[in-house]
Amino acid sequence: MTVFEFWRYTFKSFRLDLPQQAFFPVCRFIMPIFKLLINGESRTVDVEPDMPLLWVLRDELQLTGTKFGCGVASCGACMVLLNDTATRACVTPVQIAEGQAITTIEGLSAKGDHPIQQAWEEINVPQCGYCQSGQMMTLAGLLKANKRPSAAEIRLAMDGVLCRCGTYHRIQQAVQKAIEDYNK
Amino acid sequence: MKKVPISRRRFIQLGAFTGSGFMLGVYPTNWVQAAQELPDDCPYFQPNAYIRIEKNGSITIFVAKQESGQGVNTSLPMIVAEEMEVDFQQVHTEVAPFGSLPAGAHDTGGSQSVPGTYDDLRKAGAIARTMLINAAAQKWQVAPHLCKAEKGAVVHALNGNRLTYGELACDAALLPVPTEVTLKNVKDFNIIGKEQRKRNQKDILTGKAKYGIDLQIPGMAYAVVARCPVRGGSISSVDDSEAKKVPGVLKIVQFEGTGKPMHVHAGVAVIARNVWAAMKARRMLKIVWNEGPNNHESTKDLFQRFEQKSKEAPKQIVHTLGNVAQVTAPAKRSFSAQYAAPFLAHATMEPVNFIAKANAEQCEIWGGLQLPDWAVGEIANSCKLKKENIKVNLALMGGAFGRRLQFDFAIEAVKIAQQFDQAVKVIWDRTDDLRFDNYRPANFHRLQANWDEKGQVQSWQHHVLTTPVAFSTDGPEAKEPAEMLGGASKDFWYDIPNVQTGYTPVEFNIQCGWLRGVEPVVNVFPIECFVDELAQKQKKDPLQFRLSLLEGRPAFSAKFNENWSQPVDPGRLATVLKLAAEKIGWDAPRSKNHFMGIAGHLFFCNSYAAHAIEIEKLGKKHFRLVRIVVAIDCGVVINPDGLRSQMEGGTVFGLGQALRNEITVENSQVVEDSFYAYQLARYNDVPPIEVYTVPSEAAPGGAGEVGVATVAPALCNALAAAGMRPRRLPLQKAGYTWET
Repeated sequence: MTVFEFWRYTFKSFRLDLPQQAFFPVCRFIMPIFKLLINGESRTVDVEPDMPLLWVLRDELQLTGTKFGCGVASCGACMVLLNDTATRACVTPVQIAEGQAITTIEGLSAKGDHPIQQAWEEINVPQCGYCQSGQMMTLAGLLKANKRPSAAEIRLAMDGVLCRCGTYHRIQQAVQKAIEDYNK
Repeated sequence: MKKVPISRRRFIQLGAFTGSGFMLGVYPTNWVQAAQELPDDCPYFQPNAYIRIEKNGSITIFVAKQESGQGVNTSLPMIVAEEMEVDFQQVHTEVAPFGSLPAGAHDTGGSQSVPGTYDDLRKAGAIARTMLINAAAQKWQVAPHLCKAEKGAVVHALNGNRLTYGELACDAALLPVPTEVTLKNVKDFNIIGKEQRKRNQKDILTGKAKYGIDLQIPGMAYAVVARCPVRGGSISSVDDSEAKKVPGVLKIVQFEGTGKPMHVHAGVAVIARNVWAAMKARRMLKIVWNEGPNNHESTKDLFQRFEQKSKEAPKQIVHTLGNVAQVTAPAKRSFSAQYAAPFLAHATMEPVNFIAKANAEQCEIWGGLQLPDWAVGEIANSCKLKKENIKVNLALMGGAFGRRLQFDFAIEAVKIAQQFDQAVKVIWDRTDDLRFDNYRPANFHRLQANWDEKGQVQSWQHHVLTTPVAFSTDGPEAKEPAEMLGGASKDFWYDIPNVQTGYTPVEFNIQCGWLRGVEPVVNVFPIECFVDELAQKQKKDPLQFRLSLLEGRPAFSAKFNENWSQPVDPGRLATVLKLAAEKIGWDAPRSKNHFMGIAGHLFFCNSYAAHAIEIEKLGKKHFRLVRIVVAIDCGVVINPDGLRSQMEGGTVFGLGQALRNEITVENSQVVEDSFYAYQLARYNDVPPIEVYTVPSEAAPGGAGEVGVATVAPALCNALAAAGMRPRRLPLQKAGYTWET
């Protein structure tokens, strides 16, 4: 797939309808307070409205499981769920996220035993592990949208998350296993 | 530790840090006697820096090598645990704090972690086991040979009495450290050779694993840096009036660049309360750079220069066998070809970042460093600090691949932190990360060979041209820039009677560094393509052609210099080639439009690997990747699952280079700024990969890099079988398209 096609799929499939210029909004001189619902808990942050949710999660709330990989929606390391939709937190201004149910890797399951996590564990997927939150949350979003995605839908979704260590071979297997277990 | 230029071979010497030939049974006194100062109540037994056993039975194994995904956090403690006779699931593992071991112990890279520490770690475990047995023997008043260690306890051979290691800890702590220990027989291994999950896997899966970028220091501020885009340039003027107005900005500081070894770029750092404010403010900076005189170079010109110089005699003759000048052949038995590959970026998924807190006297740093001792020395030099006043906190890395062998980012962070009163976390965004990397050198090769009427290759010449790493680390006066490992030096494995390899370094104002696979990846691409072309010219099967140049050649020692030799065993290379060929079905008739390619090599960590790749031709320059088989011989395997991971991962790393990765330069500035421009291998690029291991009891080799070099040539050889013959990477640049 070409670079253009990838960009189009990224924005079309997995994000909310954000105006392009949400990425560079006008600065404000007061720091408003945002009430966020994260992993079922209400959290309050005092930040600029244009601050990407990624930095709010990581630096304001110490939820460092969501990773910074590029900041421009090209790698998928920052994937979270916004009302069950896989969303790239690095290009989601916090003001958009207010009022939405946000799920991060820390909230995928209480005990690390979501079928996706279990499949990843059984196949021993991670190497450095840095991209794996993004990989798992992308699949989580896909399964929320469609419990039995087609091969083409899987390929489209998972192609949006990069892995430099090259664990794709195992991710491919873990995806199959996770879908089986999710449907049990 | 004195300042040392870290050439590739020097790195290997450092990797085996205990240095001089280590006799079985004799432990090195300088580190084992990590002083066990006992408080009166003796809470633990610590015979050396690697092992601690507490009175309550808790066992901790310390790991010195840095984890970046390659699995040392699991394989190295397995080795210690094996000799200690403990249940591996019961031990805790921790990173050995920097400073608890001699200089060099934490150096991680060159695929040396397992081969370089295997013996030491076994001895460390055996020492603990022996002392615990001695403690039990003393307690029971029996001879030690009547006591057997197993699963964390010592058992009396006659009456079955049992004392756990915890119960024996304080007695063992009082005993002298033995001067000789017996190591287990490979056949008795319970832990080594059995699959283990990564020690931090659960943390990774739940988002709890903390990488350097995740660390938070109380009071910490965040910084991003605007850097002079040309190496060697400086700041001419800065207008930060608009940038200062961004809410959250705390301070804007400038710093000069450095020269070798790390060539930190001159920069302006925005320090702010949060990363986002810093990034916004950076966009508002108006900076005029003085780029310096070396700001006009491009990769387009570089490759033209390479091609031109490749026709001249090499600047250095590196390896000579026989006399190539005396071998003549008519045109139909002579062939020459050129190959080229670009600068490559590391592009770790965790972008470069580093934390420092520093003033004129004291300094503390947090982050990933693969060569922390060297880094500390250079930080001290560049920032006018004393080494002993620099405290180092090493962190888990989200991929390294050699990026953190360099430490430009650490020097930079300290320079910034010295201008601020709190800790500063310097974040590089992906554009910074791609544009201010230490690149795998661009390279060009000219090969030439002659063969006789019987088809025997009589002469082989290989002229290698690169922009050497040594010019970056040591300057243009570098004594030994030649990057010839991986078959372009005395380690050349094919049995050809007349060989000449030579090297020409080319200057280019871009920082170069070591990328996973280093020069074997550079040299094996042309070698394994060229030998394949020779086979094609003679209409011979490429596998059989290689085997005819390997089988029957005895193992030999490639002596690079006084201090360093590399054993080369052509038989082991033949074995992995045959294994890969067998598993891909090389000898079976091909399906319609299916083609296969093969390539093999020796990596200098004493491991041999071969790739066999099957493709389906779909059109002119359009193909489908069907299957990839990799065969590996790395001697004794510590963690089979870890080994498979490294081979799968190395394959994808090599596939990305074959298909997509390319850094280009214009006006001495890197062009690529994102993953849209510098493309990595993707989920949909990867066909099924199968890994096959040669069972072996040879001393363990490394596995981190050996999976990379043979992917690109195997793929190009498959394409050649299909009627295409690419000689330049990445394939995307030459118009190839693919699917899986």
